[in-house]
Amino acid sequence: MQQKSPPPETQGLYAAHRKIYPREVSGRFARLRVLSVVVLLGIYYLTPFLRWDGRQAVLFDLPARKFYIFGLTLWPQDFIYLAALLILAGMSLFFFTALFGRVWCGYACPQTVWTEAYLWMERKIEGNRQQRIKLDKGPSSAARIRTKALKHMIWIVFSLWTGFTFVGYFTPIDVLADKLAAASLGPWETFWILFYSFATYGNAGFMREQVCLYMCPYARFQSAMFDANTLIVAYHPERGEPRGSRRRGIDPRQAGLGDCIDCSICVQVCPTGIDIRDGLQYECIACSACIDACDEVMDKMTYPRGLIRYTTENSTLGKPQRMLRPRVMVYATILLLLCGFLASGLLLRVPLQLDVIRDRNALYRETPDGLIENVYTLKILNMDEQSHRYQLTASGIDDLKLVLDHPDIEVAAGTVQQLIARIQADEFKLESRSQSVSFHLQAVDAKHLQTVEEARFVGPGRN
Amino acid sequence: MNAVSPRRLPRGQQAIAVLWPSFVVAIAATGLFFSAFNPRDLVPFNLDLDISPLAAYSIGFFIFWLFGILCGYGTLYFTLANARVIDPGDG
Repeated sequence: MQQKSPPPETQGLYAAHRKIYPREVSGRFARLRVLSVVVLLGIYYLTPFLRWDGRQAVLFDLPARKFYIFGLTLWPQDFIYLAALLILAGMSLFFFTALFGRVWCGYACPQTVWTEAYLWMERKIEGNRQQRIKLDKGPSSAARIRTKALKHMIWIVFSLWTGFTFVGYFTPIDVLADKLAAASLGPWETFWILFYSFATYGNAGFMREQVCLYMCPYARFQSAMFDANTLIVAYHPERGEPRGSRRRGIDPRQAGLGDCIDCSICVQVCPTGIDIRDGLQYECIACSACIDACDEVMDKMTYPRGLIRYTTENSTLGKPQRMLRPRVMVYATILLLLCGFLASGLLLRVPLQLDVIRDRNALYRETPDGLIENVYTLKILNMDEQSHRYQLTASGIDDLKLVLDHPDIEVAAGTVQQLIARIQADEFKLESRSQSVSFHLQAVDAKHLQTVEEARFVGPGRN
Repeated sequence: MNAVSPRRLPRGQQAIAVLWPSFVVAIAATGLFFSAFNPRDLVPFNLDLDISPLAAYSIGFFIFWLFGILCGYGTLYFTLANARVIDPGDG
């Protein structure tokens, strides 16, 4: 029960750790990851510059409270779609994790992608793994300070560009660029650019694998989606052990050795600094760098590839593998249902909203003609990108009369129009003291733009 | 019992354990809150504030973050205080 805490000098910013110097790796999976990094970063940095209908194609316009995503304009009222989209993203993560393990971590997570980019810059400036270790261990010299300063300068420039792009998703990026050029950025724009830049610089430059190990919630619960048929990166101990170094060309079986030559390159390339030969560990982000590294060594030794490989627990135990299993099918069903809901919701979405608020000052009043009148405030929200003229009708009581303060209803694109509507009805046609009436709003020039809103109509009531 | 006493967390880890989850929660809370309320319609404490929407969203975010930090720090504080009581192994 009495555990001695580690001596304080080994404790870093986040936890006791040693700096990891991932060795560069080449091979099929490394190429795949580079491709993924280039594509994903390309999407991130270029999307704000895409245009659509004379505006920025993807813009989360916070001041105007509208999200533009290509042809789609989302209002705060469409919150449900964003929520559905987030759930969809979460569910896909479950689905792909169940099938392919931590492919997200290894190839697509922003943490991996940016770390990969920052490592690449580090390598270009400080050199390979050995040179980087030597540089860090070596004495402080002018050359070392110059190299380090250059690296940090390039990192910072790249981070600032990243932060600028990030804010460009919320403020039109051409306006932002003009403001930047004129040195007239607003205080909050400046703040968020610096904040995001700092976060990128810190996470991709320094924190790196520690984000995965200590801060990432997904890393903690991904094991819940795993089963014996999930794809994992694993070492083949029956083939590799007993490990040991040997001269090239000798028969390992005669020397009593397995195929692992214990070169430790799989450990050197690991971005989280683990030894895959110790078995499946939660630190493993399934980046498959060790597979590429080991395959290269196996090729040199003229042993067959795949001592470390993508496999499943069942496969290593010699049991049959199954792709389609209840877990996968449940995730797939939920995923399909959600996709269907989101797609149909977006397709059937009517960019028109009607809000009806009953006048709270008076329950009802009697008109000079002896009719019972209720007053309503109507708010018409035209969420379309064109202006429309509308026709308003009401129903719910026989022979009711609808009186509008201005009967010609025209609402400009993306604006709200308020009007006063009065419903007048014969007291003897009322069914109860309070009954429901419906307002129907129909665009004159577009048949599909229509909506119905219910309201209460209050009368004196009959005995 | 408590094989790893939270009291022995390094300072940096304590700070991030409080700052990071509250940051994530603040993003979610800000999104939800400002989807429902337009800052232009909000007049806090009858103050006539003339600030830009971006400033309102940012300040809202920091208020949520602050509350998250207070909550997280409270949890950390009471966990540490509790660990001190149930862990007699440390003098």
